[in-house]
Amino acid sequence: MEHGYTIKSKPIYGALAWHDKATVHLVIAQSQGGLAVLKLFEQMQPKQPVRVLYAQQDTDYAKTLKKVVPEGLDVLNSEQELLDVLKSIMPTMRMGLRIYIAGSEGFIWSVAEAVKAFGVENADLMKEQTDTLARTIYCVHCKAITHNITTNIGKCSGCGRMLFVRDHFSRQMGAYMGLMIDAESPGELPAIEEIYP
Amino acid sequence: MSMINVKVVAIEQVTPLVKHFTFVKEDGSSLPAFSGGSHVVVSLDIGGRIHRNPYSLMGSPMENEAYHISVRKQENSRGGSVFMHENVTVGMPLKITYPVNLFSLAKKGRKHILIAGGIGITPFMSQIADLNRMNANYELHYAYRSPEHGAFAAQLKEKCGDHLHCYIDSQGQRLDLQALLNDQPLGTHVYVCGPNAMVLATLDTARNLGWPENHIHSEQFLSPPTGEPFKIQLARSNIEIQVSAEMSMLEAIEAAGVEADYLCRGGVCGRCELDVLETDGALEHNDHFLTDTEKASCKKIMPCVSRAKGERLVLDL
Amino acid sequence: MALNFKKETFREDYTYSNSGESIKRFPFPFPEDQYMYSVNIEPHTKGKPGSVCEFAFDIDEHYVAECLDKRITLEQDPGRYQALPHMMDAQWDFLELTMEALAQDYPEHFSLQKQGLIWTWENKPLGIKDTFTFGDTSTLATEPFDYIGRQLQGDFVLLDHRDETLYADAGIVTSQADWSLAFNVGMSWREWHGPVPRATELGVMDRALKYLLNLQLGSPVRRLNWTMTVNPRLDTSPENYPHWGSDRNTVNADNVADLVHLRVELQTLFRLPRSNAIVFSIRCYLISLKDIATYPRWAKRLHRVQKTMHPDLIEYKGMTKFHPLMVDWLAKFDDGEALTVGTHAE
Repeated sequence: MEHGYTIKSKPIYGALAWHDKATVHLVIAQSQGGLAVLKLFEQMQPKQPVRVLYAQQDTDYAKTLKKVVPEGLDVLNSEQELLDVLKSIMPTMRMGLRIYIAGSEGFIWSVAEAVKAFGVENADLMKEQTDTLARTIYCVHCKAITHNITTNIGKCSGCGRMLFVRDHFSRQMGAYMGLMIDAESPGELPAIEEIYP
Repeated sequence: MSMINVKVVAIEQVTPLVKHFTFVKEDGSSLPAFSGGSHVVVSLDIGGRIHRNPYSLMGSPMENEAYHISVRKQENSRGGSVFMHENVTVGMPLKITYPVNLFSLAKKGRKHILIAGGIGITPFMSQIADLNRMNANYELHYAYRSPEHGAFAAQLKEKCGDHLHCYIDSQGQRLDLQALLNDQPLGTHVYVCGPNAMVLATLDTARNLGWPENHIHSEQFLSPPTGEPFKIQLARSNIEIQVSAEMSMLEAIEAAGVEADYLCRGGVCGRCELDVLETDGALEHNDHFLTDTEKASCKKIMPCVSRAKGERLVLDL
Repeated sequence: MALNFKKETFREDYTYSNSGESIKRFPFPFPEDQYMYSVNIEPHTKGKPGSVCEFAFDIDEHYVAECLDKRITLEQDPGRYQALPHMMDAQWDFLELTMEALAQDYPEHFSLQKQGLIWTWENKPLGIKDTFTFGDTSTLATEPFDYIGRQLQGDFVLLDHRDETLYADAGIVTSQADWSLAFNVGMSWREWHGPVPRATELGVMDRALKYLLNLQLGSPVRRLNWTMTVNPRLDTSPENYPHWGSDRNTVNADNVADLVHLRVELQTLFRLPRSNAIVFSIRCYLISLKDIATYPRWAKRLHRVQKTMHPDLIEYKGMTKFHPLMVDWLAKFDDGEALTVGTHAE
């Protein structure tokens, strides 16, 4: 592929930064995303109310976060627990809320899906990718979703086909398209390499 | 550009300054359906010069027998609204464009706050029909000078019921934007149409309260401002045209017989955008379409509302 | 003039073929010897009698067989139809636009009677007659877009206009050139066109978007797009790629002219009135290399276009395996004669 060519459907994630006009800040992070939250608080302690939801995982910044975030911090034990708390507080939120997400791509889009149900569109979310480049794959043949693919070719959890991971991303599904790699020459697989560590 | 031949079937004085016009198709067939917030551009032949003014369609989008517009008489205007008030009569044929919508409702919105000032009520009339049909959650906040200037207030009360909130300036009633926008549920969109100060105040208030840009909508058609006369060269047509003080560049181009694209003629849609090949002086960008960077680059201009001050302006047309 | 609908298939035994008339009206897409990706949009005005652009929506001899093929595809995979909830106004707009066009342009095959909002639609070739209330979904067996989308050749995507862009928020797609509606539904213009190589960099897609955001009611536009397909298969979807992908291996020097088909999409776009959405209609025409060679001018032109094709585009259009065979076969028609600009056959 030519140099300088970008796939416009692949999300580009930036670094979290406060929206200075927000009326309430909601910061949602997982695992190493905790570091992104700490960096955010290094920028400023906002004057508006802040709520932080943090799911502990392999890497744990909970202790430091408790020191830096004096009020409104919830430390949760899993992504699921975090999503449950998120869903319980969203109905109280009003326009002016700004949401910040830091975590793996899979985590980011789980959160995006959860808040969409409350009228918050993807365009209104600030996102930072941490932890891993692992991809969630949608199998275009059997429609199954497979999580945590770290290689150029992954096995579909639904139909077992070997899928080439295309650089084409659906924000609705939070997944990349997976296309059968050996449809034209069954059994002939290129080398499988880890490219999304 | 495709035009529709209509004739005027009714004219009504709604307030001391506003007249309401009803059009039907000249051949008696149905008019195209449209979406809430749409406008048409009406062509007026004023002493041999063609004026084209955009007006919001006010009727229900579901009704396609007739179109309704309202025109506020602008005393200092270049004559379009005065002509509509004083010279257009029942039975007169007119040409209009197909409806165009530059102010549509956000279909995925969960609540809609409509803010109108004076004649800015017009695009909301059709939107309300859509919102009522969809049983949507909305509020209409309508501010006007004094009771006799509240065009359509009675009609709106009937259609909107509790959704309507009126603010009559002469009675000291004010719309508190801060209070209104400070406490709205997620997924709310705000729409504003009215005098410049009101539009700017609404945009500012919403932004300062952290509302995302794509939840804030406004419509403000500009009348082509008058100014000093200037000359333009059209490179492809290889002609030079004089733009007089009270004419827009687009009108001057059309009067010279050169075909140019346009849609809204109010500096909003971007359709008439022209590439500037050469210029020696300041361009007076009056549109809402180009970004500040584009305006500063002097590479593009919207001839419907913008002007020039220099001696030389060469356009790619 | 009444059309003579053919009985033919677009899968398994592939009995699809073009009559002489059908070859003659084929929308050949190459006006010049070299192909450049471009917007090439023009007004969708009434074309010459008999041409594919004579009417807003073209119905041809393959109509009945294509609608049958569409039904099979939708039965096997209902995900080929998608409509997000906020698109219901656009669905009715689409139904009105297409029913009115067909009834007006093909009165011997279709009719639409209106009594206020009570409409009766008759589709004679498919043996359908239904009465329903316009705007009332409960009066049709399926959603309105699904209902009429099945009675038209080609694919349709309904684009919602918001946030200064267009979102593909509904579609009925069964004859696509390797893109997935189920995956793409809800995408913005830029996300949707993400994978087109060379187009994003040239700014082609941004210019096209700017143009389409100003698309006007009553002034539809069209453009042609093309690719090459092995076998006259309508459903070259990524969903079914495991079924058709290996067909590319079956092409050899002896069968290339029969197997390889030029696939042309007549893409038309219409602004819809009540929803302010846009219909993106993609009507697919298939013709074998052999039938193209009925007209030497087309064979020469296609040879030159293919010979000078950029390698990225050969790859993107999935032609890598049979491209040299195709160019070789076409070469024998090309005497090097200079061709004037234009897509005409003779």
